[in-house]
Amino acid sequence: MYAIVDCNSFYCSCERVFRPDLKERGIVVLSNNDGCVISRTEEAKKAGIGMAVPYYQCREQLEKAGITVFSSNYYLYGDMSRRVMDTLRVIANDSNEDRVEVYSVDEAFIELSHIPPENLNDYAIHLKNTVEQWTGVRVSVGVGPSRVLSKMANRLAKKRPGITNGVLVLQSDQQIREALEETEVSDIWGIGYRYAVKLRDEFGIRSAWQLKHIPLEWARKNLGGVVGVRLIKELCGETMREKKDPLEKKKMIATTRMFGAPVYTLEPLREAIATYTARAAEKLRRQYSAASSLDVFVVTNGSKGKPYQYQPGTDHRYFNLPRPSSVTHELIAHAMPLVTSLYREGVKYLKAGVILGGIVPDNSVQADLFSAEQQKNKTALMDVMDNLNFSMRGDVIRYGATGTTRHWTMRQDKRSPRYTTRWEELFEVGKGKVD
Amino acid sequence: MNGEIYSASFTGTKHFKQQQVKTADATGFGAAADDYSERGIDLNEQLIRNKPATFFMRVAGDSMQGAGIFSGDIVIVDRSMRAESGKVIMATLNGEMLIRRFEETFNKVRLLPETKNLSPIDIDPYADFSVWGVVTYVIHSL
Repeated sequence: MYAIVDCNSFYCSCERVFRPDLKERGIVVLSNNDGCVISRTEEAKKAGIGMAVPYYQCREQLEKAGITVFSSNYYLYGDMSRRVMDTLRVIANDSNEDRVEVYSVDEAFIELSHIPPENLNDYAIHLKNTVEQWTGVRVSVGVGPSRVLSKMANRLAKKRPGITNGVLVLQSDQQIREALEETEVSDIWGIGYRYAVKLRDEFGIRSAWQLKHIPLEWARKNLGGVVGVRLIKELCGETMREKKDPLEKKKMIATTRMFGAPVYTLEPLREAIATYTARAAEKLRRQYSAASSLDVFVVTNGSKGKPYQYQPGTDHRYFNLPRPSSVTHELIAHAMPLVTSLYREGVKYLKAGVILGGIVPDNSVQADLFSAEQQKNKTALMDVMDNLNFSMRGDVIRYGATGTTRHWTMRQDKRSPRYTTRWEELFEVGKGKVD
Repeated sequence: MNGEIYSASFTGTKHFKQQQVKTADATGFGAAADDYSERGIDLNEQLIRNKPATFFMRVAGDSMQGAGIFSGDIVIVDRSMRAESGKVIMATLNGEMLIRRFEETFNKVRLLPETKNLSPIDIDPYADFSVWGVVTYVIHSL
């Protein structure tokens, strides 16, 4: 059996931990750059705020409904996510790190073969209560014989909070059948919108229960081959997907952001690309790798004074490094000419990014006989820089190319304090009306 | 299942193995010192019992000065501990966060300040009240 523990409106839930005044009031969290709504509480959903709606379109509606708006505070969410996952590891007694599978920032699967079947329900409740007690983050728990069925249980648990209290275990054949009958094909984890429409319109398959009974051969032909077969087997309660290696190294590293305001000149564009390159190089070194190619891209939308086009355009330039590198200034040096050659005057730039590819382990970088000493110095320099930036935070050491004014950086007007990661921004108690 | 103890599986904030502790290698003294080498005191380990449930907070105001908690001090709060009568807790009351001494008798719950300037608060059973966490230590700069 598997459990999935899924945080409810995770980003909003993190904000609420330090804002008891917002316990029963609506909250939304905006994406990077305050672009659109990416997390909503139930109150906000009821007030008709849609997911991914641009902020400027729902601003008035939010104000009228008295909903509190936050810019995203990834420092806080990252720390709270770690707390939730650590709590699950402690409860599951996961000293070998093979029972808890962190699936995303706000959800984790837990393998439950060590729990006797008659205790599953109590265990699921215990999981929920402990996470909520220890971290303050609200969660729902779904349990089922496979990951797909545990996801289905979780969805139903959230849909019927009054009956389930946020916990649902699908254990008996009867429970599983009812859940499958109640779930539409489009609501199954792993079925995309297109397949759902195709199944409904062409084959008359609407419920998960119907889908479960189609022959595997048919699924192979009509549901995307092996993937479709796996899904049907998971619906039948067989566990298919192997746990993925959490330490799997990334094969590509991308850093990209929207600009706070459109950029028209070369200088800020170069600064932005230098900054993203530095960030990507840092990620590269964190996984002990080096990159052999560098791709710089910009997203444009028309030109100054002209209205927005329907389709933004993307331009990019690519460069293969003479030898793989993870040294920030080497990568910046290669990136700058690419930016300059991409730049066209008068064009409105909305976004830019860097993609590092051809990633290899850094110990496989061929040693250059004549520059071994130099290479060692560069590595030492990068170590010092990473250590300082990690311990002091906020990029205390950075390259001049990344700019000093940074007018192009993101808007984050409504970000809450970094309560759990910065000493200067700790929560202050005793500033209320009572004291 | 409530009240289960996890101490065996959770060992404070240690994230290193004994092999990673550098041993003394001063000439002539190394071997002897080696037998007694320890890795020193780590305050995280001493003061944090349960890392994922522990939060730091800064105190503003003098509501708890009688308990030795002054304005500007940092308190360590553990959300996984049960609030017992007599403990200093972080409480939420009507949407506000408060630091007070918790008093629970057979028919009454009260929040007690540690200063003469404030009065105890009787918690109405229907009030919007909850225990946020238990204060375990205070860090006071001299």
